[in-house]
Amino acid sequence: MIKFTNVYKRYPGEMDVLQDISLAINAGELVFVTGSSGAGKSTLLKLISAVEKPTSGTIFFENQNLSYLKKNEMPFLRRKFGMIFQDHKLLYDRTCFDNVLLPLAINDSDPSDIGRRVRAALNKVGLLEKEKLMPITLSGGEQQRLAIARAIVSRPSVLIADEPTANLDRGYADEIMNIFYSFQQVGVTVIISSHEIPPTKMKYKELHISKGSLNNVPLLT
Amino acid sequence: MFRFLHNHYHALIQGLIRIRANWIGSVMMFLVIGITLSLPTTGFLLIQNASQISNKIQYEAELSIFLDKEIKAEQVDFLHSALKKNSLVKKIHFEPKLVAWEKLQAQLNLSSIEDGVSKNPLPDAFFISLNTLETKKIDSFVSDLKALEGIEEIVLDGGWVKKLRSILYLIKIGIVILGCLLITVLVVVITNTVRLQTLTYQNEIEVSRLIGATNAFIQRPFEYTGLIYGLGGGLVTLGILKIILVSFNLVADRVENLIGGNITLNTFSVEQSIFIIIIAMFAGWIASYIAAKQAIHKLEKNY
Ligand SMILES: Nc1ncnc2c1ncn2[C@@H]1O[C@H](COP(=O)(O)OP(=O)(O)O)[C@@H](O)[C@H]1O
Ligand SMILES: [Mg+2]
Repeated sequence: MIKFTNVYKRYPGEMDVLQDISLAINAGELVFVTGSSGAGKSTLLKLISAVEKPTSGTIFFENQNLSYLKKNEMPFLRRKFGMIFQDHKLLYDRTCFDNVLLPLAINDSDPSDIGRRVRAALNKVGLLEKEKLMPITLSGGEQQRLAIARAIVSRPSVLIADEPTANLDRGYADEIMNIFYSFQQVGVTVIISSHEIPPTKMKYKELHISKGSLNNVPLLT
Repeated sequence: MFRFLHNHYHALIQGLIRIRANWIGSVMMFLVIGITLSLPTTGFLLIQNASQISNKIQYEAELSIFLDKEIKAEQVDFLHSALKKNSLVKKIHFEPKLVAWEKLQAQLNLSSIEDGVSKNPLPDAFFISLNTLETKKIDSFVSDLKALEGIEEIVLDGGWVKKLRSILYLIKIGIVILGCLLITVLVVVITNTVRLQTLTYQNEIEVSRLIGATNAFIQRPFEYTGLIYGLGGGLVTLGILKIILVSFNLVADRVENLIGGNITLNTFSVEQSIFIIIIAMFAGWIASYIAAKQAIHKLEKNY
């Protein structure tokens, strides 16, 4: 589904952040991208979701070479991903409901169905009764869950989460991870970056980055 | 189609939310647009009224042809018949010098004996109306006449109305040019305001882009904001014109009582009022389009 071949990434005026990355992610997999802070985890996720361009190398998504994607095709590619950003990127000038509604407005969803889908997503993360509140009034864990609701509301085939549990207590973190696992269970490809692998009984693939390179860790069970 | 409409409805609501979130700024914007546009429109309204009045003045080109004092009767008859035959001539009135003299005396209320003026100083004259207003035709007609024997002087009347009309026309053009310049200024001002607004909504623009919004989607609420600025501004302009009109007519009413006559300013037609609003909305739209485009362009450095 996702395939990197000899991908390099360098930000202007920096050294190579990622070097010679080759990897493959299959549909429906649970993938952890691990590494210490500054290793390049976020950069890797941005390359997958076409937020950043590789400096060299090729990236395929569903047999589509992202380098050949035109600028006006980019929005339609991004709609296939559900993204949870390291800093949430919630909009604090509108209610929880309206935050979750944004992707549906963007991708032109059937208007008669919008309310139902927003509530289904909020329900999934346990925030249904808070739909009218402003995000600023939510706790850190709740904000993270709101960000997840926004990512899943348009039923993407790939969920990408950048350190979704970094600043959360253990209990909250487990809750969040369980939400992700439940999506992977129903066939969604889930890619999560994290300092380290959280304790789990799930089957997963680990991509460990150190100093910008991928150390291929064999698939664990 | 329904989705398309819903899309625009969503953008319109977002635009309205942004207007309300910054309502003081929005009201200022309405006033800036309204007052700026009221300058050329007031001028235009005045000129339009002046033209309407000048159009009511019925006029035709008139020639006064004064003859030699020593002219013979046959020559007068010859001239009379020559003028009659000319196709440009609509009406001829011949006034013999005696008649003119009596009229003048009656007007001045004096008699020739008392005054000691025994000799009639006035010439015979033809007063003719022409059935054309074209300067070229009239000019060649006049020079033809001058070539004839027995004609002393020809005076052309009625030209002033034409001059007035051309002056009004020139002023109209000036006002249109002024209007275009002011609209350009408005576009610059609105662009700058919306550009500042895009900074306020930077977060929303960025998130929207990241989760797959097209540029059109991101721009649309700003475009609606601009359209609403234009609509508000256009309505303010119409309001200002109304106030000017009502107060002018109030004053004019009093003056009329003193000097008689009828001075009333007419307002713009419905079509013209709608046109003003459309112009204002167009300015708002084009400005916000430019501003939003720029804001997105800045974020577009990667993809
Ligand atoms: N937009 C950027 N411009 C320049 N340098 C960047 C940018 N984003 C990340 N970096 C640099 O790339 C390196 C990897 O960053 P990142 O991918 O965020 O690591 P991680 O997510 O693993 O902490 C860091 O040294 C960081 O400073
Ligand atoms: Mg990171």
